[in-house]
Amino acid sequence: MEDAPTTMSSTARRPIWQRPVSRRAVLATGATGAAAAALAVLWKGNDLSQILNQVRDLTHGYQGALTSERVRMAHLLRRAGFGATRTELDHYVAMGQTAATEAILNYTKTSNAALESQLPTIDLGSSTPPTAAAIQSWWLQRMTLSARPLEEKMTLFWHGLLTSGLDKAGSAQLFTQNQLFRSMALGNFDELLKAVSKNPAMMVYLDTETNRKGKPNENYARELMELFTTGIGHYTEDDVRESARSFTGWTLQGGKQLRYATASQFVPRLHDAGAKTFMGKTGTFTGDDIVEMLVPLRATAVRLSTRLFSFFAYPNPDQEIVNHLADTFQKTHYNVGAVLREIFTIDAFYSDKAYRSLVKTPAELVAQTLKATGANAKTYTAAAVAMAPMGQVLFYPPNVAGWPGGTSWINSSTLLTRINFANAATQRGQGSLAAQSLGQLSDTLLDANVSPTTRDGLQSFEAAHPDDRTGLLFMVLATPEFQLN
Amino acid sequence: MFSRRDFFKQGLLPVFAGSAVPSVFANGVAAAAADSPSATPSDRVLVLVQLAGGNDGLNTVIPFQDGAYHDARPTLRQDQGVLRLNAQLGLHPNLKGLKASWDAGQLAIVQGVGYPNPNLSHFASMSIWETASVQGGIGDGWLGRYLNYLDQVGESPNHALEGVSAGSLVPPELRSKTPVTALQSLRTFRLQPVSEHGTQVDVENPLMKFYGAFKSAGPAPFGALLDTTLQEALQASHALQATDASYQPKAPYPANSPIASSLKLVAETIVSGLGVRVAHVTLGGFDNHAREKAVHDKLLLDLDQALAAFMQDLQGHGLGDRVLVMTWSEFGRRVKENGSAGTDHGTAAPMFLLGAPVQGGLYGQQPSLTDLDNGNLKFGTDFRSVYASVLQDYLKAPAADLLGGNFEILPLLKA
Repeated sequence: MEDAPTTMSSTARRPIWQRPVSRRAVLATGATGAAAAALAVLWKGNDLSQILNQVRDLTHGYQGALTSERVRMAHLLRRAGFGATRTELDHYVAMGQTAATEAILNYTKTSNAALESQLPTIDLGSSTPPTAAAIQSWWLQRMTLSARPLEEKMTLFWHGLLTSGLDKAGSAQLFTQNQLFRSMALGNFDELLKAVSKNPAMMVYLDTETNRKGKPNENYARELMELFTTGIGHYTEDDVRESARSFTGWTLQGGKQLRYATASQFVPRLHDAGAKTFMGKTGTFTGDDIVEMLVPLRATAVRLSTRLFSFFAYPNPDQEIVNHLADTFQKTHYNVGAVLREIFTIDAFYSDKAYRSLVKTPAELVAQTLKATGANAKTYTAAAVAMAPMGQVLFYPPNVAGWPGGTSWINSSTLLTRINFANAATQRGQGSLAAQSLGQLSDTLLDANVSPTTRDGLQSFEAAHPDDRTGLLFMVLATPEFQLN
Repeated sequence: MFSRRDFFKQGLLPVFAGSAVPSVFANGVAAAAADSPSATPSDRVLVLVQLAGGNDGLNTVIPFQDGAYHDARPTLRQDQGVLRLNAQLGLHPNLKGLKASWDAGQLAIVQGVGYPNPNLSHFASMSIWETASVQGGIGDGWLGRYLNYLDQVGESPNHALEGVSAGSLVPPELRSKTPVTALQSLRTFRLQPVSEHGTQVDVENPLMKFYGAFKSAGPAPFGALLDTTLQEALQASHALQATDASYQPKAPYPANSPIASSLKLVAETIVSGLGVRVAHVTLGGFDNHAREKAVHDKLLLDLDQALAAFMQDLQGHGLGDRVLVMTWSEFGRRVKENGSAGTDHGTAAPMFLLGAPVQGGLYGQQPSLTDLDNGNLKFGTDFRSVYASVLQDYLKAPAADLLGGNFEILPLLKA
């Protein structure tokens, strides 16, 4: 790999993301160690078959699941998108991994006409803005049906990083911002940040629309550094103040209603054209100048790379991986698509450590469930509402830091809600998948890879309720395996 | 809408409700609670009200006689209707319920609360308050440590409802090994039945087995997390189903107010005798960098009305002596308003402690509005002093151990 870092001392040593995991070694140590421990704990007069069942679960591992080409593709489609229907999975498997990965990345070559023709019209020209429910179900339908899964997934990524929310901004503004994220999803980060800085939803959410010469407002300036670029510890309070001055001059265009304006404009007389000193440099900076100073910083590259890898592969990546991605980011003029290409092709992405290492976010859980059950227009509206008690309302992040994610998605309340959603969705399902066998359902939704107890339990359920395909699909969607991504 | 007559009729009910609480303990989930002799402190409930986003302390407890306040707040100052606490300070005009509590000696106000080297990031500062550590970070929350302590000393059953939060997330200050339940509604907190041809199918037992198997087979930390979470969820839902119908609010809660709904839910869990020790509710929207006045006025009105209903409800159930409410926010706002008729991030701010257990009055020093640090107030009382006082004098817990240090105890609570 020509871009590999040159700082490695040992020539024989391969970068960590290229090092293969010895499946046999992992299995051997895992199995024997766990089995011995299990027997020691369990051998207290219990029924032998019960003990053997438990040992079987204890020693069941997922190591090596990603050696299967089909599981690798299902994994990629869960991460780069929102899971797959059986047809979609077959389609991408038939392409082969390299071609499929390219197709997913170069999605502009894939027509999305089928989706676009089905989507409800969101009318921004009317005097009343769309309802929150309308834009939420519109987006959820995109996530579920798009032929360009990565486009929707990255739109969700940007929404969770460069946050704006319905608590302050209007629905038409957030819809416009959503389109902006989609159109620049895999582009250059500096260009995206410049556009977002002038985006009405952001201008309302973080108050740049009130940021005027002589009356600086620090809100956007602070979060731009703390959350969107370098992270805390790389700037001073003076940098916050000087950056706020630099961003003055942008206002909302048209209409008097703060929450309705969907375009912005630069008004020179409202801009503080004086000299500012930002991160040791002095000049008559504009907001764009501030972005151009922040994006090249190594801290920005490291932070965004870590965030992307953690979103798509697994949390807390090794420093070597982060450095490699940050190098890619900097060498490609901050191109996000280039970083994603690395993420989806390095071995770490398909390592045992990556497998089922993320909790399905409510958006992922709901979209993949609807892929499985089928949906109509009403279903999307109901499902978007059902996401709230799971902890995620589209266009309404809990605060400017976005959704905390990870283990915070799982608590007793959200877990019951997730399982109850599977129940409701299968009961009102559109029947496309209900005719599938357990083997097919398990293959599409669970990688045919569950604990022996779950496998036996699902088989027993099918045997006991042979004509209850809805109940069987519910059981599949309620498994612990399906809660992970 | 409650009529006055309804209200009086309902007012007679505590006699009966009082006798209903022990029977819940006797038959339900809380059977575990009955195993350990119930000491007085374990009946006490602390309710945290988080004012998320950074509440403007200067427009909450207002130094209305201070010329510097008027100078710094040309558009945001409250000139009219301040509810006087003394000759210098008054509550925001919308805090009428809190003023009534003040008059009844049930409101303590700690002024100028903060910590050294204030952090102006929402998230860094929240984390500092949540962990009671000026480093912040991802450790256990300070009340998570308290719940964990209760388990260790065997003073509480290790069940899922001793810590509850209203909403879909468990707040970081309650985080520890001890389970905490995020509640959105007592009625929907259950597995919905699955039926086939009108006959209910048992899915609970199979799912328990699936999740039990996944505990060891699944990847860390999720295998164990999913299994314990399902167990807690089912345990809590069985408990809730056993007690569900008994609660009737004894005060009219405002409609269309999320904070009122949250506090009503907390009241329901307390009244239902589910063994809750710590409850958490959040009111967000305080990050008022622009056009602060209208938003902040409304937030304080919602807060005040919700708290008034909550206190009245609990008193109506004869539980007023057992509940302490404490508000906190990650920071106050800048003294001088900005050019957007709002305020940027600041530092020290007042905290409220509310309820019958409180020794009403003002505590700590009101910070100077002219001796500032980068335009921000200098704090006078460390927030961990307030935590320590509540832990030691109200919850009867070892404050220094739980906070990792000794902090001055303020006489905020009745002996």
